[in-house]
Amino acid sequence: MTAPPSADAVPHGRLLISKAWVQVAVLVVLFGFLVLGVLAYLVYRDEPPVPRQVVGDRGQVLFTGDDITSGQQVFLRSGLMQYGSIFGHGAYLGPDFTADYLHRAATIARSNEPGGDAALIADFQANRYDPATRTLRFSGPQTTAYLANERHYADFFGDPTTAKGLLPHAITDPAEIHQLTSYFAWSAWAAAAHRPGADHSYTNSWPPEPLVGNRPTADNIVWSVLSLIALLGGIGALFGVYGRYGDRLGWRGRQADTLSFRQPGEVALTPGQRVTAPFFFVVAALFVAQSLLGGASEHYRADLGSFFGLDLARLLPYNLTRTWHLQMALFWVAAAFLAAGIFLAPIIARREPRGQDRLSMILLGALIVVVAGSLLGEFFSIRGMVPASARFIGANQYEYLDLARLWQILLTAGMGLWAFILWRGLRGRLRGEHRGNLPWMFFWAALAIPVIYAIGLLSRTTDTFTTADFWRFWVVHLWVEDFLELFTTVMVAYIFVLLGVIREKVALIVVYFDIVLYSVGGVIGTMHHLYFSGAPAQHMALGAFFSAAEVIPLTFLTVEAWAFLQLGARQEAASPTPFPHRWAVMFLVAVGFWNFLGAGVFGFLINLPIVSYYEIGTGLTANHAHGSMMGVYGMLAIAMALFCLRYMIPPRLWPDRLAKISFWSLNIGLAWMCFATLLPVGILQLYHSVSTGYWHARSLKYLTNPTNSLIEWLRLPGDAVFIIGGALPFLYIAWLGLRHAAKARPATPGETEDRLFTEITGPVDR
Amino acid sequence: MTAISTEVLLAGGYAALLILIARGLDLLARHTHGQTERFRTGGFRYDPDHDHWTCPEDQLLRPYGYDHRRRLIRYRAPAAACTACPVRALCTDSAEGREITRPVDPWPHSEAGRFHRGIALTLVVLATVIVLGELLRNHHLGELIMLGALLAGCLTTGRRLTDHLHATPGGFPAPARYQGLPPTPETDDRPDDYD
Repeated sequence: MTAPPSADAVPHGRLLISKAWVQVAVLVVLFGFLVLGVLAYLVYRDEPPVPRQVVGDRGQVLFTGDDITSGQQVFLRSGLMQYGSIFGHGAYLGPDFTADYLHRAATIARSNEPGGDAALIADFQANRYDPATRTLRFSGPQTTAYLANERHYADFFGDPTTAKGLLPHAITDPAEIHQLTSYFAWSAWAAAAHRPGADHSYTNSWPPEPLVGNRPTADNIVWSVLSLIALLGGIGALFGVYGRYGDRLGWRGRQADTLSFRQPGEVALTPGQRVTAPFFFVVAALFVAQSLLGGASEHYRADLGSFFGLDLARLLPYNLTRTWHLQMALFWVAAAFLAAGIFLAPIIARREPRGQDRLSMILLGALIVVVAGSLLGEFFSIRGMVPASARFIGANQYEYLDLARLWQILLTAGMGLWAFILWRGLRGRLRGEHRGNLPWMFFWAALAIPVIYAIGLLSRTTDTFTTADFWRFWVVHLWVEDFLELFTTVMVAYIFVLLGVIREKVALIVVYFDIVLYSVGGVIGTMHHLYFSGAPAQHMALGAFFSAAEVIPLTFLTVEAWAFLQLGARQEAASPTPFPHRWAVMFLVAVGFWNFLGAGVFGFLINLPIVSYYEIGTGLTANHAHGSMMGVYGMLAIAMALFCLRYMIPPRLWPDRLAKISFWSLNIGLAWMCFATLLPVGILQLYHSVSTGYWHARSLKYLTNPTNSLIEWLRLPGDAVFIIGGALPFLYIAWLGLRHAAKARPATPGETEDRLFTEITGPVDR
Repeated sequence: MTAISTEVLLAGGYAALLILIARGLDLLARHTHGQTERFRTGGFRYDPDHDHWTCPEDQLLRPYGYDHRRRLIRYRAPAAACTACPVRALCTDSAEGREITRPVDPWPHSEAGRFHRGIALTLVVLATVIVLGELLRNHHLGELIMLGALLAGCLTTGRRLTDHLHATPGGFPAPARYQGLPPTPETDDRPDDYD
């Protein structure tokens, strides 16, 4: 009665779906990257110039181009991008130093400006940069303001206490203060002085600052409106087309086969699969540490002065807790994906070559070295113990790309090794298989992960912020939001195939559909991060339009995916054996939900240029980041981990109740975080930014006012539930996996079983 | 009657927004649940009056069994009709005729349903905490009326979101015979290891 193992494990020389899917997907991706290539050229051509020297009104040299570049180095290696921000990019506790410098300079200049406010605006908007001599001239009031600001920043960073969340005496070297002030002054100049031939500044007149005449540009408003229209029209059109032709996508219900799920304990594990247990333990340990650091970072916003009576900032200042919080988020999620890929490969290939376990252990070792090395580098860098000459092994400290270049290269190499491990494992299966079919898509999606991450190496600390930021977002947006998303889709679709939830052909359609819809908006939509960091207006226009277009599939696809991911949770086939992955699929249901809310709704809240103009670098960004990064990738990583750990832990020891507690705690905790604190704080801050001023909405004075403190304290129950009820039980489950994986039924290298169920009704034509 | 303070207006407004979001999420979750069901039953039409399905080729699928564990009713088309059907390959391999299922318990009686209800309820609990906090701090008449109305809104929504619990005390109803249908033959009653 039981059918031969599987038809899925037999290579298909032909493409399972129409060639048109592949052609459209390739064309859309090529088009996106072609446009990005043009935009890369424009960024280099039109970025704000770094002058050779900046002179005062009497011709005296105030600072040089080297001071600006060195100031950026000081800013980065002191971890200030994880404290406040520059051009709106960075962390949200400290001020935005561009807006802060600009407002202080304008206020000081105002008292020295005999011509009144109109003259002040004209003074700041005048572009006195001479490209021939590469000299920038400051006016008299601007010169006075620069000198006063230098004294201000010396006081600010030389604070002997930890009252600002930084180390005591964080920066005291007068030369470094001079360089830092020069860097801020240059960014503020680029934010106010008009581009040659344009009626707006290099930053599209961001930040909003009435004193210097900075207000939303015509481009900003027109492209906001156009992208909103495109969004509404697009959603209507897409739903219309889907309603008309949706059946052709292949969803149409075919009778579910009668499946017999192979139970944990019956599934033999290959050596390569068993060594994923330490991976998942590292994943869980990093997750616990990351959520604790998140709690500490949050505490700084609720009570800046002390951590329940302790002066935490002496050991772990805010910029360090936030740096580690962000770095670990990427590390544990990525590590879970790597491990899940290694675990799935032998199931897909039906065999495992010898040595996969050793290669995987090398990968784990490399990963631990990168994690430990980069975190230590950041610790010493923020303490001022890494000289500029050692930045290669110290720290990079661009937000999200905080790890030093050495670790970046090693991480890329590690992910390259991982792609090699997968290729080695899948080789037998890939041979003879059409390159557009699911096994190859699994490999292509995996290969894209190191390739796109490597592009982040183009972002160097010595580059102008504008170009460095351009490449940084290839990692933050394109790598995280698009290519991890692609790998995710392929992996989830494949797991559903392996679990018999959907057929391979349907899975393949889902994958191509995802590539086409995400690439239409997602690739060029990367530019929605670069509205105000010195890139020309084209970036804002295309970024706004295409990222609104990104919301169309996002809304559509996430509602679809929301329903799609629930497929696993509805087990209807009459199986004689219980479905073993109850909590893994429930985490996938949560992914569907958070993808819609955290990525889709919370993301779109801040996507339009006109909203971003007042909002960038405020609480609503953190709201989106938590809802999407933890809600989507975090939940997904845990789903993958539980899926794999289920086969490593003996069934009698499987702590189902703990998995349940973890599931509910993580979701309730995250919902509480977003709705009790991040969303209301963000809305209030946005209101304050529009009504009183962006610089003020970003000041410590505003952030620590009693209303904000109260709302920040409201987050405590959610954080506690999340960490104690959610992260710790997951760590225990991973520990059980670590203890018992070695004792799991061994599969000898070579032939292994393919799917995780057997069909009772027999194989069918797909 | 005294004016309502800005704090109460803002906090109350946010609590009202949370209630609306909770209701909206619940509606959307219900919609996606329907969508999930349509993935499985695409092209088939259910007739609730006669309790049968009609397939795209206009054949009737009648109830034939009840799955205790999954609380599903199973429907099947006549085997002879399926054998002769021109689109059989796209539909089923079963020699006994195409089968389709329908859950006995409507939304949100499913694992995913309970999850979405749980999230919506979290928002209502938060709204209640905010309203109660404001009630402790503000006692002017206008504020009491507004906060009282919001509290009633929280309780009503909370009750609405937990109605599935009221209807089935102690969680899911105990397995029972449905409309006198026999248990599905393939299903054994071995309990799940996780239940």
